[in-house]
Amino acid sequence: MSTAPRTAAAAAITMQGVTKSFRADRALWRRLRGAPGTEPRPVLDDVGLSVQRGEIFGLVGANGAGKTTLLKILSTVLLPDRGSVTVDGIDVVAHPAAVRTRLAVVPADERALFWRVSATENVRLFASLYGLRGADRDDAVERALDLVGLSHVGRQLVGSFSSGMRQRTLIARALVTRPPILILDEPTRSLDPVTARELRRFIRDVLCDQLGATIVLATHSTEEALQLCDRAALLVRGRVVATDTLSNLHAAAGGARVRVRVDAAHEARARVLLHLPKDVISAATEGLVTLEATLPDVAHAPIVLDALVRAGVRVTEFAPVPLSLAALLESVGAAAPIESLRHA
Amino acid sequence: MHRLLAVARAYSLSMLTYRTRTLVSLISVLVAVIPVYFVAGALQPLAAKAIASESTEYFTYLIVGSVASFVVAEAVSAIPSLISSYITSGTLEQLLTTPIRWPSLLGGLSAYGFGWVALRALVLLITAWVWATSTIAWPRMLEFTLIMALLAAAYLGVGLIAGALMLSIRSSLFIPQAVGTLSALLGTVYFPADVLPPAFVPFAALVPTTPALRAARQLLLRDQALSVVLPDIAKLLAWAVAGVLIGGLSFHLALVHARRAGTLTQY
Repeated sequence: MSTAPRTAAAAAITMQGVTKSFRADRALWRRLRGAPGTEPRPVLDDVGLSVQRGEIFGLVGANGAGKTTLLKILSTVLLPDRGSVTVDGIDVVAHPAAVRTRLAVVPADERALFWRVSATENVRLFASLYGLRGADRDDAVERALDLVGLSHVGRQLVGSFSSGMRQRTLIARALVTRPPILILDEPTRSLDPVTARELRRFIRDVLCDQLGATIVLATHSTEEALQLCDRAALLVRGRVVATDTLSNLHAAAGGARVRVRVDAAHEARARVLLHLPKDVISAATEGLVTLEATLPDVAHAPIVLDALVRAGVRVTEFAPVPLSLAALLESVGAAAPIESLRHA
Repeated sequence: MHRLLAVARAYSLSMLTYRTRTLVSLISVLVAVIPVYFVAGALQPLAAKAIASESTEYFTYLIVGSVASFVVAEAVSAIPSLISSYITSGTLEQLLTTPIRWPSLLGGLSAYGFGWVALRALVLLITAWVWATSTIAWPRMLEFTLIMALLAAAYLGVGLIAGALMLSIRSSLFIPQAVGTLSALLGTVYFPADVLPPAFVPFAALVPTTPALRAARQLLLRDQALSVVLPDIAKLLAWAVAGVLIGGLSFHLALVHARRAGTLTQY
């Protein structure tokens, strides 16, 4: 049992004023000459956030926003330049060993697995590293593989797996000791849409609801964040520009977008009900017109659809339009913090 | 210790899947003995006097030297090579997010390599025993193994420093290669120090391989009493302690630096 001092923390994770800089060019001889690019470049700037127990918290941002850097600081493999970070009330800089027993990381890169040994051996290794032995370890390995649906292929080499199976092996490896906190770095990055959807369902239903884990998930997909996260921090070039529930962030982005395909003869009526001015361009094909409208929130969608049908509009399609990361960034005024970073 | 064994198991299982490479490597050890046997036979009349205190036969003298060179090569190059490859794959960083400490991690990852060295050394010694006209004192194998372990520890410091450099600047600055070469040239691996140019002879005493091989050969090839080789073992022990301490400190500091600079993985 660790003796690291803990502060009474309601939050599973807290970060305050976290700042981190890297040298883009680390070549020693160029650094000594003071060549351009060798000076430290800010990657995280005064980041503060708090993750509650049992929630799925998203770190949403474009490539290079600082998501992975933040996760590395959380998982103790990177030290912040300034600021404080606690996991389960324990300071990650002062007591990294104690923090490592409370969280597990699922990296974005499948190469972090031992490809030339079986899935069972990969998971067994991590079980041993977390202190499990003998029958307890073997049972935990079997349970973890079963949980991710890989127990039937546990003896196969990881190198023979598909990307989805490798991703699930990484998750099994992280889950083997049932850590209270899981860190997932872009878990669906290399997956096809169907496998990605399955994995998201697994994260929501099993990891969060069934196991009660606190999950920190880095993603550049707003669709993924909307499907999975209770709350999210929007990162733009190293700064948190917004932290809120996804529905609030969605609302801030101008509400929910829907695509409506109606009979061309009913376009005018549909435009009125959807509050679309005439100058909003529509696309017409084979007697059908496609319109995109913004609703105050997702809850308004059935009401609007009902109104269209009652007004006699023949609707052949009524579907949500996924919120893009670009739209989300624009909506929360992401430009300001970008300007505040000298090297951004 | 169980964490070290867990890493050693996973890494060994991974390496053992390279069956063809393993077999070819073992066969190449056997094949390499053939020219050594004939060349040593041809040079025996010339070398006999110079090596007399350590061996009666130049062939076995070279075989024991080759075993030491295997040990040195593994000790200086295994860690930087593993660090480099695991930084690239992200495995190093992943393993360091778990409760394992770095000495256990490096120990586990290096175990297979040293085990493989031990197997090749055994094959070499058995081949020499079969071919040689002189005998090998097999009952002295325990002491011989201890000397080789101390030799590995002495050079492990260099391996740890090279690993530390790999963590910090992604290059070992050819230190393992330079040390390996110097050790082979000055450390009586292939010839006694007496045949070196006079200016180089004092440097031979500064190489840990020299006392290690003198002690190892006297035990294994001349069946001398342990008391005869104790001064050399003491020197080697001092090298080993200094190497592990200095190397360990360097690696620890490099790890702290890497956690600060973000060089534990390649972006």
